[in-house]
Amino acid sequence: MLRGRTLSGVEYPVFVLVGMAPFLLYRNTALRLMDSLRENRSLFGYKQIKPLDTYVARVIVETCLAATVYAILVFGFAWFGFDMTIHSPLQWVTTLFLGLMFAFGLGMLLALITHALPSLKIVVRMAFFPLYFISGVLIPAYYLPPAMMPVLLLNPFLHILELIRAEVLPHYVPVDGVSETYVITFTVVLLFLSLGTYRARRMHLISTKNG
Amino acid sequence: MFELRNVTKSYLTPNGRRYIFRNLTLAIPPGKNIGLIGRNGAGKSTLMRLLGGADVPDSGTIATDRSISWPVGLTGGFQGSMTGRDNIKFVCRVYGATGDSMREKIRYVQDFAEIGDWIDEPIKTYSSGMRSRVAFGLSMAFDFDYYLIDEVMSVGDAQFKRKCADVFQQKLKTSNIVLVSHSMPEIEKLCDVVLLVKNGGIQVFDDVSEGIKAYNS
Repeated sequence: MLRGRTLSGVEYPVFVLVGMAPFLLYRNTALRLMDSLRENRSLFGYKQIKPLDTYVARVIVETCLAATVYAILVFGFAWFGFDMTIHSPLQWVTTLFLGLMFAFGLGMLLALITHALPSLKIVVRMAFFPLYFISGVLIPAYYLPPAMMPVLLLNPFLHILELIRAEVLPHYVPVDGVSETYVITFTVVLLFLSLGTYRARRMHLISTKNG
Repeated sequence: MFELRNVTKSYLTPNGRRYIFRNLTLAIPPGKNIGLIGRNGAGKSTLMRLLGGADVPDSGTIATDRSISWPVGLTGGFQGSMTGRDNIKFVCRVYGATGDSMREKIRYVQDFAEIGDWIDEPIKTYSSGMRSRVAFGLSMAFDFDYYLIDEVMSVGDAQFKRKCADVFQQKLKTSNIVLVSHSMPEIEKLCDVVLLVKNGGIQVFDDVSEGIKAYNS
């Protein structure tokens, strides 16, 4: 699968790290939000604390964790002689933030859905597994079957990862059809949906009637 | 005062939904110390949480124009890996006490709970007595119109109990309490009005001794 150690002039470990670190952050954020209500139930004794606070806190914690781990790994890689420079840092940070917003919106929607239907939790967790393969975490997106591309490109994670790679690695060319506009639109719609649902369900979330 | 309108509250159990209250409507007069009595599992603690806004009814509204504390002596809200000082700071920030007033509250809790320099150790290293002393001191550090108390009048040793009773007498001059208790002497001593929670309904007794009689019968 891998011709030697390099992919379009990039060392494979660097290629994986650059895509996998944000992907894991987004996945953890989206999945951990489902548990944040249960984990923080005792804090709702202070009635100023709302479920949304616990969601935001969880996102901040996950981001700090991921940033620290990433910084250590980048330092380690650089120590062993890999080229870890970032091609366009400002765009990179913007895309990372965009991805985080997407993950937050997704996680919140999943949290609200699984609060109403707790048995869906396991389905959601399992659904995240194939995302590894169809989002191009371990392999470049142009290795994915071209015939499936129109379907695969519905997945915003694929767009985000390709964008991030193109911004970090100087010679990386994302597959056709990857667009920032799609991700932004998707994120805005998702945030609107999840915040709206939250607004409608906010009273039920504190209520202990679902255990 | 509290006003409950059409309050329904249920819990989901593996065997289906269990209703604690159905279509409850009542008003509790202002400026009274409220005692909640009833058998185990009747719904006293649920009612107290509903009054405090820590839980919400399935339907109906609960209105009040007073400030209400979190359950006095709530230890579940502590984050075990953080120090006592950090936990106190957290609650201070939630309740808007920053700067000097935060430092003053920390000092108050430290003195009251008699934990000395343990305040900078993680909460999970505390003994359960220390933890509840901190929680009780933290509740007393803030001023509320109503304090919610769920059977925690008995923390610590005899000396600390006396201290609690003293500070409580102070508080009772300006504030009121909502007390959940199985100890009738305590109810008789502290409360002006008794709510008997029984079979999904609530009876209000303005005469405390009559309420206790109804509970015992």
